[in-house]
Amino acid sequence: MAAQRQASSASQIPHISPAELSYLYTSLSLPGNPIRPDGRSPTQFRPLSAETDILLGTNGSARVGFADGTQAIVGVKAEVERTPLGIEALSQAEQEEYAAESNKKDTGSNGDGIKRGSSSGQGSWVQMAIEIPGFRDDDALPVFLAEMMREPLVESVSAGGEGGMVGGLKGRLVINRRWHWRLYIDVLLLSQPLSYPLPLLSLTTHLALLSTKLPKLKSKGEEDPFFDDDWNAAEYLYPRVKSTSTKRSSIPGSLSVHKVRPPVTLLVISVAENIIFDPNREEIAVADAVLAISVTNNTDSDGLKLLSIRTIDPPSRLTQPGVPNSENVATLGSTAAAEESVIVNPSTGEEEVLGVWRPRRGGIKRMTIAKMVKMVLEKGGVGEEVLEGLEGVEVG
Amino acid sequence: MKSLRRDFSSDPHTANVTSKVFVRSTKSGKVQKIVRELYLRQDIPCSSRLCTICPAVAPEDANVAPFVLSEQPAGTAAFPRGHYIVPDTNALLNGMDLFEHTGAFYDVIILQTVLEELKNQSLPLYNRLLALIKTDEKRFYLFFNEFRLETHVKRGQDESINDRNDRAVRTVAKWYTEHLRAVTKSKKEKSIPTIVVITDDKENLRKAKEENVTALSLENYVSGLEDADKLLDMINESREARHAKETSGELFYPEYYSMSKMMTGLRAGNLHQGVFNVSPYNYLEGSIKVAAFDRPLIIMGRHNSNRAISGDVVVIEVLPKVQWKSPSTKIVEEEIVTKNDNPDADDNEAVVTEREQRALQEEVRQAHGKNLEGRPQPTAKVVGIVKRNWRQYVGTVDSSSTGSQATGRRQQNVFVLPMDKKVPKIRVRTRQAADLLGQRILVTIDAWNRDSRYPTGHFIRSLGELETKGAETEALLLEWDVQYKPFPKSVLDCLPKEGHDWRVPVSKDDKGWNGRRDLRDLLICSIDPPGCQDIDDALHARPLPNGNFEVGVHIADVSHFVKPNNAMDLEASIRGTTVYLVDKRIDMLPHLLGTDLCSLKPYVERYAFSVLWEMTPNAEVVSSDFTKSVIRSREAFSYEQAQLRIDDPSKTDDLTQSMRTLLQLSKILRQKRMDAGALNLASPEVRIEADNDEVGDPLADVKTKAMLATNSLVEEFMLHANITVAAKIYSTFPQTAMLRRHATPPPQNFEELINQLTKKRDMRLDVSSSGALANSLDRCTDSDNPFFNTLVRILATRCMTSAEYFCAGAHAESEFRHYGLASPIYTHFTSPIRRYADLLVHRQLSAAINYEGEDGRATIEGSITRNRLEDICRNINYRHRNAQYAGRASIEYYVGQALKARGEKLAADGVDSGIEEDGYVMRVFENGVVVFVPRFGIEGVVRLEDFVLPGDSTNRSVAERRELVTRRESDFDPEEYTLKVAEKGHESSDRTMCVELFQRVRVNVSSVKEEAGRGVGKRRVRILILNGK
Repeated sequence: MAAQRQASSASQIPHISPAELSYLYTSLSLPGNPIRPDGRSPTQFRPLSAETDILLGTNGSARVGFADGTQAIVGVKAEVERTPLGIEALSQAEQEEYAAESNKKDTGSNGDGIKRGSSSGQGSWVQMAIEIPGFRDDDALPVFLAEMMREPLVESVSAGGEGGMVGGLKGRLVINRRWHWRLYIDVLLLSQPLSYPLPLLSLTTHLALLSTKLPKLKSKGEEDPFFDDDWNAAEYLYPRVKSTSTKRSSIPGSLSVHKVRPPVTLLVISVAENIIFDPNREEIAVADAVLAISVTNNTDSDGLKLLSIRTIDPPSRLTQPGVPNSENVATLGSTAAAEESVIVNPSTGEEEVLGVWRPRRGGIKRMTIAKMVKMVLEKGGVGEEVLEGLEGVEVG
Repeated sequence: MKSLRRDFSSDPHTANVTSKVFVRSTKSGKVQKIVRELYLRQDIPCSSRLCTICPAVAPEDANVAPFVLSEQPAGTAAFPRGHYIVPDTNALLNGMDLFEHTGAFYDVIILQTVLEELKNQSLPLYNRLLALIKTDEKRFYLFFNEFRLETHVKRGQDESINDRNDRAVRTVAKWYTEHLRAVTKSKKEKSIPTIVVITDDKENLRKAKEENVTALSLENYVSGLEDADKLLDMINESREARHAKETSGELFYPEYYSMSKMMTGLRAGNLHQGVFNVSPYNYLEGSIKVAAFDRPLIIMGRHNSNRAISGDVVVIEVLPKVQWKSPSTKIVEEEIVTKNDNPDADDNEAVVTEREQRALQEEVRQAHGKNLEGRPQPTAKVVGIVKRNWRQYVGTVDSSSTGSQATGRRQQNVFVLPMDKKVPKIRVRTRQAADLLGQRILVTIDAWNRDSRYPTGHFIRSLGELETKGAETEALLLEWDVQYKPFPKSVLDCLPKEGHDWRVPVSKDDKGWNGRRDLRDLLICSIDPPGCQDIDDALHARPLPNGNFEVGVHIADVSHFVKPNNAMDLEASIRGTTVYLVDKRIDMLPHLLGTDLCSLKPYVERYAFSVLWEMTPNAEVVSSDFTKSVIRSREAFSYEQAQLRIDDPSKTDDLTQSMRTLLQLSKILRQKRMDAGALNLASPEVRIEADNDEVGDPLADVKTKAMLATNSLVEEFMLHANITVAAKIYSTFPQTAMLRRHATPPPQNFEELINQLTKKRDMRLDVSSSGALANSLDRCTDSDNPFFNTLVRILATRCMTSAEYFCAGAHAESEFRHYGLASPIYTHFTSPIRRYADLLVHRQLSAAINYEGEDGRATIEGSITRNRLEDICRNINYRHRNAQYAGRASIEYYVGQALKARGEKLAADGVDSGIEEDGYVMRVFENGVVVFVPRFGIEGVVRLEDFVLPGDSTNRSVAERRELVTRRESDFDPEEYTLKVAEKGHESSDRTMCVELFQRVRVNVSSVKEEAGRGVGKRRVRILILNGK
């Protein structure tokens, strides 16, 4: 366990023999048509069950369970906080002037008010804590995961307009110049981290944020915030607009859609020429490269927007190598050794003996990354499919 | 990607569990989402006596009240089979007075939903409703509909809270109908009462019709009752106003700030919060004491006071410096200024009538003409109301506002003039204007909208004819919020079963003797005012072998009879104090305890709580001891009797000797107290000896209080006992001891008085400490004017803050000081029969001395949480103050009546010339003076027309005098505090009179009745000044 804990890499290394690793790798690297251990297609996700608003005491929450038994719940809580160095610096006259000004503009959309304060939105107002069984909260894995998910969340910025969010999440948290919301996102992995938990946690967080509501503000302008005590009047953190496009009507019960959504971080691996989504533990163990790609939908176009890519230390680096017969003392000199041919792995450019496992040394070709990103972003691609699927869960 | 949602429909328990979600904003600015889980049940009873199921099902362990809804509820024309009423929140908001009415509104089902909504909207109404639910007579049942499975209503998507609550009301009505039908299946269909929903919401009425629920608006329902005219008057006025006025455009008052704007301003310190007070001499001027400033801020005029009524907690904004003014020097009374207002006319109403405008201009001129001393004071305007402290007001219908059509049954607007001059007149719609003329009536304020110059309210009930004893006494009690209703049965149930036959147990083994010392051998006596029935205290003294004395103060052991938190205790804590009126006593505790079982009557054994000291002959305390005891008082003296006995040298018995010892010691104690700087304060009190007969002069009953040595004997030992007890309970309960303090008044309170004394008499007042003040007050004498010293003391007392009860934890120890008594710590221990504070102190002291009581619980009973204690302190401080005011008002009324009786007697001989007395000028205004008449303990305003100039006749009617005012003119010197009154055109002649502050004047006092104009029939004490300088 001690070794596992220190591993910042994608997951604990499963106890798989070099021969098995080699077998897996070979199946997954079949050109154009990889064979995955569970029979999925390369872009197919594992079935999952999801629901939102499971924790009544939170502002928003979600639970997602993968078919392999891994489960996570996420709760989002919001708190009003005073923004330091805010209006105290202003004189009374300035405050009044400001209040008068904002009252005047009150007729406009609320985006107006947000725009003024958007510059002061800060990433530190979103706090994320991840708890994984068997890990301390200052262990590398939870800290790394949290940062990996928080970063695209606070940095994603989108345009205004109806249902838009000026200044992104940061901007949405601004109440006025003196007050803001602080968001606490608590992520709890309920099961052992059988596979690298990033996709699960990201999906759950996404759902939780979509269902998050903030009490409706009743005060105006620079006044101390004062809220409606009716929870039903609370407004979604990610504003919703009434659906207009018929395309979405396939989703049952969905009357409103989000123009802006929180980002989703997808885990993608490459094995030889193949790009595989939602890898399970064994698949990660043989991956040439593991990438966490964060995307969100773009308000302006229908397409998706890439927010961040992070490479994750592939666990295959730490696996035991297989020994080719040619080097094996036991088989040395046997005829079998002569049959082994050395080939060059197209994705890593290294020489390998077919059927013999060699740990990956890291490094990935540009081409491969480009391909991965493209598969996520393209119209009708995996990213869109995932977001659409999540929209179906949400609502309710 | 597939997703699944867990399915709960198969779980049978989900129906029972539901939750309530809301947002709570805390004071610290936190905003929380609160989720309350609700577990629905099916055993909440319907409480109808018709029901056969509920009594069997209702849980036995819970305290389910007996079923209240009658099996034969009253019927009306519309509901001959009888009906149960289910009001919604608005019905209660608009018609609480109706629901309290004893003529109708029986068998009412109050929903939990409605009660909670009412609590959010109006706390006073909520408390009144709770009181209604508690009484048995009205048969109100609080139905916990939110907890019952069948009647719980889940809020739908996009359903507003109001709609949901309305639906809840209808659901309950439906359920009750079905439930009653089911349980009475065997009986005749006829006997099922109709469930009538009362709501004023049109949408709700419509939906009710759709759903087959009987629903009526409050007005429609009331119209179907007998006595509808009277009852309709009791509906809240603001409701109608809201509908009718939406169109009318003119707004008289500025809008209030939004709540959030006020909160922001308060936190930032730009706005201030305080209680709005109206000056007793000028109804257009108010003042507000806020924490941020030493002196109160002034609120000038209607516009700035912006619909605030005296007593409201308001938020104010300081006005720019150019609008600062000095307090007015003029007496302005609403009655006189706004004589000709028409209650119906809204159109030509300006907030400030022309007359008012003129009055204001005058003041501005004054303020501007001021020199150094009358520097303009900061003024402020009201920008919002935090809490309305509106109550029910006693008043009279302004006869001039009833208009010509006085006889019809038509509804009309009239003005009601409240007794309290600080409250503006109230516009009331009534159908019975003609009947109400000349009556003392009770009204309430419903609203004060921006488009109305005066508040609107509605009539509640009539107290009776003006000037009848019953009506005036009740008016007085209502005005001062004294709880005067007879004790309810639940309270009387707490009394000992033996009643008047209760005795101290003979056997010392009885549990009543637990922890009690037998002091029956001591020669104890009590000294009280004559005719006193509730004897709280008794004393004794005896020499000890070592030359010292044992002195004991024995206080009635009320805490033995009143156990904490029972109905009697709660009632007493609400009443707070016994209220003494001239001819009536409103007891805090039931008669049986106050005048018999607790009262330390002579010759019988009584439980007591004793404080025993060993004192040296120099009254130094060697040791003190506290104990519960049994005593037998040897004699109950009046002050005079005690004095006579002490002074009679022929009496040498032990009892008299012990009284002499007490007197001796008390004199030393008093001297010590004076040396420590205690103040000798004066209040303008007179005593009424109410055993008058028809013969003789009614005024003979009015006596100024005489002070005998025996008065001070009792007083000294009581003070001493209180101080000793205070120290003891504070040492045991450093946080929760019940103490009493008198804050050191800030020196600026005295500024005006110091100035006046310096100017007029060249006397100095040293207010640096209570001792210094006491000494300088002693020096304020005038050989020509023996009353002058008392007058100064009265004025000085008014500069001080009033003493208050507090919880030890609420202040630092240095703040415990009692300024007037010059004691570092003080409490009230010696009058538990008539003060609730003393009862609490008794409990605390019993716990402090580890007295266990009959059942060993006394120690626990003594403890009380700080929050609860602070609530009690707030209430008893309020009650105590009101009791004093009520007592004074009662004396004032009595004096007025005595003057009237005398006047009538003399009038029989043809002349009502009033009575001549000495009076003293207390305050000088620009258009009048305030004169104090010690003989009757009254002070009154003397206006210009009431100066009897040389050559003028005293005998003029009120109307004649009023004519004079136009011919009078005055010259007011605010520097010298003088007022010169002259006849117009005769300035130089001898037809002038000049009065100054502190001056002794001869006055003519009589009781007069207004004969014409506004306020016809209103009686007041008129003071005429006969001679000045």
